[in-house]
Amino acid sequence: MAAAEEGQVVSCHTIEAWNEQLQKGNESKKLVVVDFTASWCAPCRFISPFLADMAKRLPEVTFLKVDVDELKSVAQDWAVEAMPTFMFLKEGSIVDKVVGARREQLQQTVDKHKTSSASA
Amino acid sequence: MAVSGFEGFEKRLELHFFGDDPLLMDDNVNNSCNNNMLGLQLGLGLRRLDFDSLQQVLHAVQCTVVSAVGNHYFDSYVLSESSLFVYPTKIIIKTCGTTQLLKSVRPMVHHARRLGLSLSSVRYTRGNFIFPESQPFPHTSFQNEVVFLEDCLPPTLRFRKASVMPSSLSSHSWHVFTASADDGDAVSDDEDEAIFTVEICMTELGAASAAKFFRRPNDGQTPDSAGKEMTEITGIGNIIPRALICDYAFDPCGYSMNGVLGDRYSTIHVTPEDGYSYASFETVGSVYDDKNDLARVLKKVAQVFRPAKMSVSTTSCASPEVWKRVAAALETVGLKCRSCAADEFPAAGTVVYQTFTARRK
Repeated sequence: MAAAEEGQVVSCHTIEAWNEQLQKGNESKKLVVVDFTASWCAPCRFISPFLADMAKRLPEVTFLKVDVDELKSVAQDWAVEAMPTFMFLKEGSIVDKVVGARREQLQQTVDKHKTSSASA
Repeated sequence: MAVSGFEGFEKRLELHFFGDDPLLMDDNVNNSCNNNMLGLQLGLGLRRLDFDSLQQVLHAVQCTVVSAVGNHYFDSYVLSESSLFVYPTKIIIKTCGTTQLLKSVRPMVHHARRLGLSLSSVRYTRGNFIFPESQPFPHTSFQNEVVFLEDCLPPTLRFRKASVMPSSLSSHSWHVFTASADDGDAVSDDEDEAIFTVEICMTELGAASAAKFFRRPNDGQTPDSAGKEMTEITGIGNIIPRALICDYAFDPCGYSMNGVLGDRYSTIHVTPEDGYSYASFETVGSVYDDKNDLARVLKKVAQVFRPAKMSVSTTSCASPEVWKRVAAALETVGLKCRSCAADEFPAAGTVVYQTFTARRK
């Protein structure tokens, strides 16, 4: 199951799927990057291929996608106000956040947290 | 002054559209955007534009997207040389340097057409270029700009007006062109009616203020992280405290930001080089806002940049008195009003253009 999801962005369409993915991320101690997105947000559409590409390149990082209209309560709980918002999680806690479609910053933030996990 | 440097003064274009086919305007995918609470019954409109189309428009202007973000109301883009805001039926593009902004009109109208949207009004504004001889066609003169722009417009936009609003400062004047399918106010809805735009151009920035917009050599930062630092140290982050800011620092100097707060945008662009230093600030307000909001914002802008010269243009359909608040606020932070000109334009309403200079100590 986990192997099949490696290398791609996993969309969470239900609260159950979301919780399950979070739990899996906590247990694996891997860096989890959550993309809060919306179908009507053009910048989200622009960054989407880049995220898919990163997921392919970095199997050691888990990439999740949450549609803020689909999982409204999650978006609210996480105080997501603008899209795309990328939350960086490690063992259940937020370690970083990038708001907006900014390739360079996204890549850099992933690199930063992915390395710190290797050295830990 | 340098023979030629980077042109800070922007060109600004605002295009309004209307949907002539309700089916095309309706976007079933997105219920949250169609609810009445958000006042977006018209659906996504221009926000459905695919990235390739948008890039085609920006390519014509000679700009690229450096960062982008969206909320329930609009999408905001920081461009390589300035900013773009896309609302369901309105688009605002502001570009500086030697970009060819007016070349975006034709492709934009074409792509909007495919989404079932027709152009209903246009507003083009700019200040006085510092290096007019460096501008490419059609920006070589205001006359050329107007001829070029008029040629891009459908005949339905038959109410047109071009005017150069003067000031007492030779370095500042305000060029305005508007065109509309309607003479009166019928074209815009009530919400648009209440909105006013404030466009500020500042020259001869305070030396200490300008210095903050230079990167340190080998600072090891990205354009994003250096931009964030500039937002903090300059006080830009406090101008509209609750706004989400997308900032970007250029190398070796210069800065751009877009602020997003609900349905309102704000934007700042800075060219800090000595001899032709320039900064712009633009935001929108509503006649229903707290009357002190605008004054607070203007005072902070003046304090961040400490310009020797400043021009403020307010464009408003419903609230021509906004300009009085502008002058009153700026007088309290050491800027003296030197001139004030007003004119009426089709669809845009009243444009009031004021200039200020710093009182010398």
